[in-house]
Amino acid sequence: MRRRTLIGSLAASAVLPLPSILRAQQLFRLALTPVFLDNDAAVIERLRDALSAGMGRDIDLVQRRTYQEITGALLDGSVDAAWLCGYPFLQHRSQLSLLGVPVWRGQPRYQSYLIASAGDEAGSLGELRGGMHAFSDPDSNSGFLVTASDLARMGETPDSFFARTIFTWGHRNVVRAVAGSLVRSGSVDGYVWEALAAVEPDLVGRTRIVSRSEWLGFPPFAARTDRMGDADVTTLQRALLGMDGTPAGRKALDLLFLDRIAEPDVRLFDGIAARMAELG
Amino acid sequence: MKDRTISRIPITLRVALAMGALMIVLGMVASQQVLRSLSRLHDDRLREIARLHVEGLSVALGPFVLHKDVWEIYDTLDRARVASDGQRMLFTVVADDRNRVLAATDPLRAPVDSDATPFSKDASELSALTASGNAPQARVRAPLLVAGRTVGQIVTEIDVGDLVAERQRVSFYLLLANAGATALLAFAGYFLVARMLKPVTLLAQHMDDAGGAPSRIPESEIPRSDTELARLLRTFNTMTGAIDARAEAEKRLAERERFVSLGRLSSSLAHEINNPLGGLLNTVDTIRTYADRPEVVQKSVELLERGLVHLKDVSRAILDENRLDRAGLPLRRTDFDDLKLLFEPEAARRRQSLDWQVQADAADLVSLPSAPVRQIVLNLLLNASAAAPEGGRIGLSVDPRDGGIELTITDDGRGLSAQDLDRLMSSVPVAPGGGVGLRLVHDLVAGLGGRIRHARDAGRTSLVVFLPKGEEA
Repeated sequence: MRRRTLIGSLAASAVLPLPSILRAQQLFRLALTPVFLDNDAAVIERLRDALSAGMGRDIDLVQRRTYQEITGALLDGSVDAAWLCGYPFLQHRSQLSLLGVPVWRGQPRYQSYLIASAGDEAGSLGELRGGMHAFSDPDSNSGFLVTASDLARMGETPDSFFARTIFTWGHRNVVRAVAGSLVRSGSVDGYVWEALAAVEPDLVGRTRIVSRSEWLGFPPFAARTDRMGDADVTTLQRALLGMDGTPAGRKALDLLFLDRIAEPDVRLFDGIAARMAELG
Repeated sequence: MKDRTISRIPITLRVALAMGALMIVLGMVASQQVLRSLSRLHDDRLREIARLHVEGLSVALGPFVLHKDVWEIYDTLDRARVASDGQRMLFTVVADDRNRVLAATDPLRAPVDSDATPFSKDASELSALTASGNAPQARVRAPLLVAGRTVGQIVTEIDVGDLVAERQRVSFYLLLANAGATALLAFAGYFLVARMLKPVTLLAQHMDDAGGAPSRIPESEIPRSDTELARLLRTFNTMTGAIDARAEAEKRLAERERFVSLGRLSSSLAHEINNPLGGLLNTVDTIRTYADRPEVVQKSVELLERGLVHLKDVSRAILDENRLDRAGLPLRRTDFDDLKLLFEPEAARRRQSLDWQVQADAADLVSLPSAPVRQIVLNLLLNASAAAPEGGRIGLSVDPRDGGIELTITDDGRGLSAQDLDRLMSSVPVAPGGGVGLRLVHDLVAGLGGRIRHARDAGRTSLVVFLPKGEEA
C-alpha cells in the first residue's frame, strides 16, 4: 500500500517540470538480496563506493528482508537493478535480463551446501530425517531449492521429511542456527559459507558440510528487460564488468571474495532450471 | 554445679559481664536489622535488573511468540545473549501458551518443541525474586503479553554472582564493624560498671580483710560523689566499730572470768590458810612453854616448818594462778600439783572424794602452755565440784593420747544443762554467767586447737578435753 503510494508520487513527480539538475541527482537504486554479509556495513559501503565511482554518480544500495521483496521491488520499478539469486531470476525469466555474473574462484558458479553441527555424524541428506532444518529463504536456490528438489527426488517434501523447518532469511543466519544447535541441519550458499569461514571462523567452525550440490550458476546482477536500454542500466553494466579494473572495484571484489564480474550467459542457470522442473 | 560456678564470680564482675553481654545482644540485633535492610535493598536491585531484562525481551519477543516464529525468537535471544555476553543473562527459554519451548539461548539444553516445565517450575515470579539464597544464579519467569493476552512465557537465568558476592562482602565488613563497635561498647560498659561498682569491691575487700575480720575503710577511700554508696560504706564503718567494741567487751569479760574461779576458791582457801594457823600458833605456845626441853622444841619447829611450807605452797599456787607473766611458760607436772593444792580444800569442804591421776609425763606436757591448761582444768573441776553432791566423787585424769594429752574430768552430779552445754561445746552467742567460765573453757580449748567431748554414763558426767601437742618452744 505504502509502496504504491510511493510509486504514485514518484510517477507524479516525473511529469512535473523538475529542474534537470534535480533529475540528474536522482539516486540510482541497486537492490541486494541477502546473499552475503548483509550485516557487514563495510562491505556494502565499499561496493557502493566502487559502483558509484564506476558509474560516475551516486547510487543507493537497497536491502530487504526477503528475496521476494527484492524481486518485487525490481519488477515494480522501485529499484533499477538487483543482485538476485538465480532461482527468482528464472522464476521471472520473461521479465528480467542479466547484466553480469560474478566469478568466484575462477568460475561463475557456486554450490549449495547441506550443513550440520560439527559434532553431527550424518553423512547424507537421508540421515538427517526427523531433525529440524533451517532454510535461508523460500526463493533461494542454494538455501531452499537444492534441498527441496533433492527431497522431491526421494519422494519427500521438507515438511514430511524434517520434524520442523524454519526460514532464517539469510545464509549467515542458517549457519548461526546450525552452529547454535537450534536446528540439526541447514541449506546454505556454499560461497557464503566459504566466505564466512574466512571472516568468522569460530562460527563456521561449529558446522560441517554434510554434502555439496553440483556447480550451479552464481547469483547474477539483473535488470528489467524493458529497461535494458536505459543509459543508467548500461552504465551500471559497464561499471560492473569493469570493476576489477579500478582500485575501488578491486577493493570491493576482494572484500566479497570475488574475482570479477563476467559477461552473462543464461545457460549457466540450466542446472537451477532443471531443479525447478523437478520440484514441479 | 554451674550455678555455683557462676555464683562464685564476684558480683562486680558479674554485673560488668552482664553489661557486656547486653551490649553484644544489642550489637547483634542492630546487625541483624541492618543486614535485613541490606538484603531488602539487594532484592529490590535484583528485581529491577530482572524486570528490565525480562521486560526488554518481552517487548521484542511478543509478536514473534504470537506467530511462533522460532527463528526470530532465537535470533532475538541469541543477539541479546551475545550483547550481554559475560553479563547478566545466562540462559533464557521462551515457551508458547502450552508451555512448549519455542526457542532458547541454548537449544541443546531446551530443544524446540520440548516441554518447558522443568525450567518454569523452579523459577520465581519477578515480585518474589530474592538474592537471599547464596546461589550465584536466579531463575525468574514472566508471562509474555501481546495486547493484554498471554501468548507464552519467558524463563531466564540471571547471573547474580556479583550481587551475592557483594552482599557477602558488605555483610562481612558490616559484621566486622559491628563486632568492633560491640566489643568497644561491651568494654566501655564493663569498664563503666566496674568503675561504678568499685565501692562495692572496696566493701567486699574490707569485709573479709586479713582472715575474716571486717576492717574499717579509710575515709580517704570513700567516694564523695556517690551519696548512696558512700552512706553504705560509712554504715559499714560504724558497724565495724560496733563489732570491735563488742569483741573488746568480750575480751574483758573473759579476762574477768579468769578471776571468778579464784573467787570461788577464796573461802576454802581462807580456811586452808586459817586452819593450820591455829595449830601453828599452838606450836609457838608449846615452844614458849617448853623452851628448855630441846626434844619438844625440835619436834614443834618441825611441825611449824611443815605448816609454814604448806602455807607457802598455797599462797604460791594462788599467786601463780594470777600471775600475768606466766604466759609462755610450758606445762609441767607441778602445775597439776598446784591445781590439786588449790582445789583439795574446796573438795574437802564439801566432803567430796577426789580421784587424781596424772599419767602424762613431762615430755607429753612440755609443748603445751601452762596458763590456759591450768585455767581449763580449774574451771572444769570447780564446775564438777559444784555439780557433784555433798560427799560425791570427782575425778581428774591426765593421759597421753595420739599426739596430745587428754584431760578427763568426771563427777557424779546431775549433768550439764542444755544451756551450759551450749556454752561449753558451741560458739553460739549466750548470755554471760552460768557455770564457772564454761565459755572461757570453750574459747581456750579452741585456741589450743583442741576439742571437748561430753558423755553421760551411769550417773556420771565425763568431759574429755583433747589438746594436741603444740610446737615446742
